[in-house]
Amino acid sequence: MKRLFTVATVAALASSVAFAQSDLVKEGEKIFKTKKIGNCIACHAANGVELDGPGSLGPKLQGLSAWPEQALYDKVYDPYTTNPISAMPAFGKNGVLNDHQIKAVVAFLKTIK
Amino acid sequence: MKKKVIASLLIGSVTLLTAGDFNEQAEKDRKALKEYFEKKFADRKNASAYFPYSTNEELDKNYKWGIKGDDFRLGSYAYNIGGKKQYDEMNEMPPYEDAIEAGKELYEKEKGIKECFPDPAIAGEYPKFIKGQGVETLSGAIVACAKKNGLKGYKLTKGKTADLEAYFASVSKEKGKKVHIVIDSKEAAEAYERGKKEYYTQRGYLKLSCATCHVQGAGQRVRNEYLSPLLGATTHFPVYRLKWQGLGTLERRLKGCNKNQGETPHKPGSKWSKELLYFMAYMSNGLPVDGPDIRK
Ligand code: HEC
Ligand code: HEC
Repeated sequence: MKRLFTVATVAALASSVAFAQSDLVKEGEKIFKTKKIGNCIACHAANGVELDGPGSLGPKLQGLSAWPEQALYDKVYDPYTTNPISAMPAFGKNGVLNDHQIKAVVAFLKTIK
Repeated sequence: MKKKVIASLLIGSVTLLTAGDFNEQAEKDRKALKEYFEKKFADRKNASAYFPYSTNEELDKNYKWGIKGDDFRLGSYAYNIGGKKQYDEMNEMPPYEDAIEAGKELYEKEKGIKECFPDPAIAGEYPKFIKGQGVETLSGAIVACAKKNGLKGYKLTKGKTADLEAYFASVSKEKGKKVHIVIDSKEAAEAYERGKKEYYTQRGYLKLSCATCHVQGAGQRVRNEYLSPLLGATTHFPVYRLKWQGLGTLERRLKGCNKNQGETPHKPGSKWSKELLYFMAYMSNGLPVDGPDIRK
């Protein structure tokens, strides 16, 4: 009886974690596409993701699922640490996106093949 | 005593400078800019160096190459094939014709306008540096003239001012006038330098500079929008913009681009915007006046 109970909670927990993760991805995708928030789409296309009218000021994003989360976080937080002449805005450093929003964007970036 | 001698020597050397010297740096900048853009759009073969993130397919199909000096007055339509097609279609029934007519009527009927601007073919002469006052844009000169004559309804951004500019631009264009911005004093050269510095300064919470998008980024896309080059950025104003469903001056356009950078727009008519426009217009010196025009 006790065991059954544990299995059930673990399963419920796992599914709620999965659910939270997919929510986070959705939130990140919204930030990516929305003009007044991240607007990453202004400069970036993303491999394997249907986007309407991505720009070419920045590279097409690909293979990001293989990047460590921290590297993605740092890139969005402040691209100048890895590329001092980047044309990409520093979304974290300049206070455009908060910690939670950057984490959401990173969750979305991890889905890019 | 010694001080006086030095002072008079200094004054002597200043007067020795000819008017041409004050624009020496600006001329260097202008030539370098023109060379940069002509190289950037010279041919498909070298394009990848300037368009690192564009696909080969797009570079093959959507761009025109081999673009030279005067062509840049068309902005991004100089090289964006799809956009140019739309632009040509819009120009079959130019939506600014009425504005030219309205401007002509204002010019002839409104009190004092003709006295302020005896020659209407002056679209290429502004912004001007006026000693003791600073930079004056065409919109600024029109609004000042209206004020002096007690005329109502003149703003820097649109309406009657833009109509008058449309008339001035069309007369200038008809007469084959070219952009002719003058830097003939130390103060003027300093105003130019300040404008230039602003153009290349990263600003707003996005920390983008005008140059990020209109020098380095010119020809690349922000979403579906091909970015126009700094060279030729001011030659064709006022413009009828589909987005505005109406005519607007350079002052009006700057507001939108401040927002693109994530910055609260500077006030039209501020020293900041006037000096920025002075620099921008100088970069187009020698290009034909080509207004009014249409933009998306
Ligand atoms: C104004 C243009 C611009 C915007 C807006 C922009 N980027 Fe970038 N981005 C660039 C440029 C240019 C580079 C390439 C230079 C570099 O690596 O810094 C880049 C690089 C990247 C990279 C590294 C890609 C690689 O393969 O090395 C990632 C990841 C990235 N951007 C994510 C984002 C995200 C997420 C956003 C929105 C929150 C965003 N970018 C918004 C211009 C932009
Ligand atoms: C985030 C990118 C971005 C930045 C930064 C930016 N612009 Fe723009 N600008 C655009 C876009 C997009 C357009 C519309 C397409 C075009 O004509 O270039 C535009 C258009 C213009 C035009 C109209 C060009 C024409 O032919 O009608 C002018 C003038 C202009 N920008 C000036 C500026 C100035 C001055 C600054 C800096 C204060 C600036 N821009 C910063 C994106 C930007």
